[in-house]
Amino acid sequence: MTGSLAERLGAYLARAWGEPVQVEKLARISGGASRETYRFDAVLASGRRPLILRRDPPGSLIETDRRSEFLALKSFHGAGVAAPEPLILELEGAELERPFFIMARIDGGATASPFQPDAYAPNAAKLGGDFFATLGRIAAADPASLPIAEACEAPPLDGCWRRELDYWSGVIEADELHPQPIVRAAIRRLYRNPPPPAQKISVVHGDYRSGNFLHDGEGRVLAILDWEMAHLGDPLEDLGWAMDPLWRHNETHRVAGMLPKAEAIAVWERASGLKVDPAAFAWWELFASVKGQAIWTSSAKEYRDGGYQEPILGFSGWLTARRHDEILAAKLAELAP
Amino acid sequence: MTPSVVEVMRGCAVALTQPPSPDAGPEYFASRVGMISMLANLAAQEAEHAAAAAVAENADIRALFAQAAAYDGALGGRLARAAQGVDADLTLTALDAANARLRRLLIELHTRVEDAGDTALDRAILALYVRMAEGRRLQLGG
Repeated sequence: MTGSLAERLGAYLARAWGEPVQVEKLARISGGASRETYRFDAVLASGRRPLILRRDPPGSLIETDRRSEFLALKSFHGAGVAAPEPLILELEGAELERPFFIMARIDGGATASPFQPDAYAPNAAKLGGDFFATLGRIAAADPASLPIAEACEAPPLDGCWRRELDYWSGVIEADELHPQPIVRAAIRRLYRNPPPPAQKISVVHGDYRSGNFLHDGEGRVLAILDWEMAHLGDPLEDLGWAMDPLWRHNETHRVAGMLPKAEAIAVWERASGLKVDPAAFAWWELFASVKGQAIWTSSAKEYRDGGYQEPILGFSGWLTARRHDEILAAKLAELAP
Repeated sequence: MTPSVVEVMRGCAVALTQPPSPDAGPEYFASRVGMISMLANLAAQEAEHAAAAAVAENADIRALFAQAAAYDGALGGRLARAAQGVDADLTLTALDAANARLRRLLIELHTRVEDAGDTALDRAILALYVRMAEGRRLQLGG
């Protein structure tokens, strides 16, 4: 392929939309570890459209399905969840050589690092209400009626936990470079003490957490981002992940740096119409930290296999992995017989 | 440990010599440089503490193996042999290799302890995990 990325993208869009398109202000931005993310403006005769390009990288942090990500956005855009509008899915790559999709860009929002203290002040409580209510609305939706059902298979109610645990423990088995006794003890515990069946099958965002959304600075969620691990499963999976201590901004009195845990659960229950069974939730909370450690284990392997070129993989495979070992060790000690 | 401090330092050097992509905007470039800076800062912490942490963890695991004599037969005498080991070579490579061997044996031992319902030794191993994780702690901005 010849021409700059902007020229090739413009040629693709002109073909897709049947009219001349000029791509301007194309710039790569940080946005999810599994896709290259670019912001750009598409200039058409009718005006300027602010857009985002998400393209598969040559290697990625985790194997994810861009079709399920695209269909997850399609499932929730305009349906009471702040999901950016998905516009084009190109599975063959065409002029851009690798699969990609294009979605509308939402300008003017802020994100926060989950390691930044008091990141959402002074509107943390209000924002937490919106954040956990949004998650509740995702949990309440009937996935069978949504586009994502085209790409994702629904597990049986009593099989959600095993499918996820088999997958993520398999990732650790495949990618571990240095033995990890702590996460392996947690995995054994999860297999020995399975949770009750899910109350319902829901869309699981897969990475719903502090840092993965845009907010307006006044307590309102503008866009839920990074749907690349979306699947169908137990709605408690997302809630456990959102409340994992890694995403708590080093706080103990609030989850996700926004609300006390009990309040966050109450908000979620009201929005979802579901109940949080403490025993089931304890299982999904421990699972969340296992899943995190599996992702960081893959990061470390990719960092090495990729010749140490991507600093984000080194950071994930190192600092966050060490942090999750601490979290897991503390949880296991609390659960000791 | 993976990645080791040696790998991270090498990684920082590799990342700094990468020519910026023509499509990388200033925001992406700043984020990447900030990440390299954070990694270098963490590497400074790790360089100071990694050898001491590995020696301490290896000694802690060996001490636990010495308490687990009841399982030594089932593990082919490996617990007793490992408990008597010492870290003579203090390079990080040698310490990590010894640590990997000890951790593999610890996983085997813990599985057997759980199967046996041995709550006393189970608790001792879980307490060891807390010390292991704390001993390897990295602090942002530390």
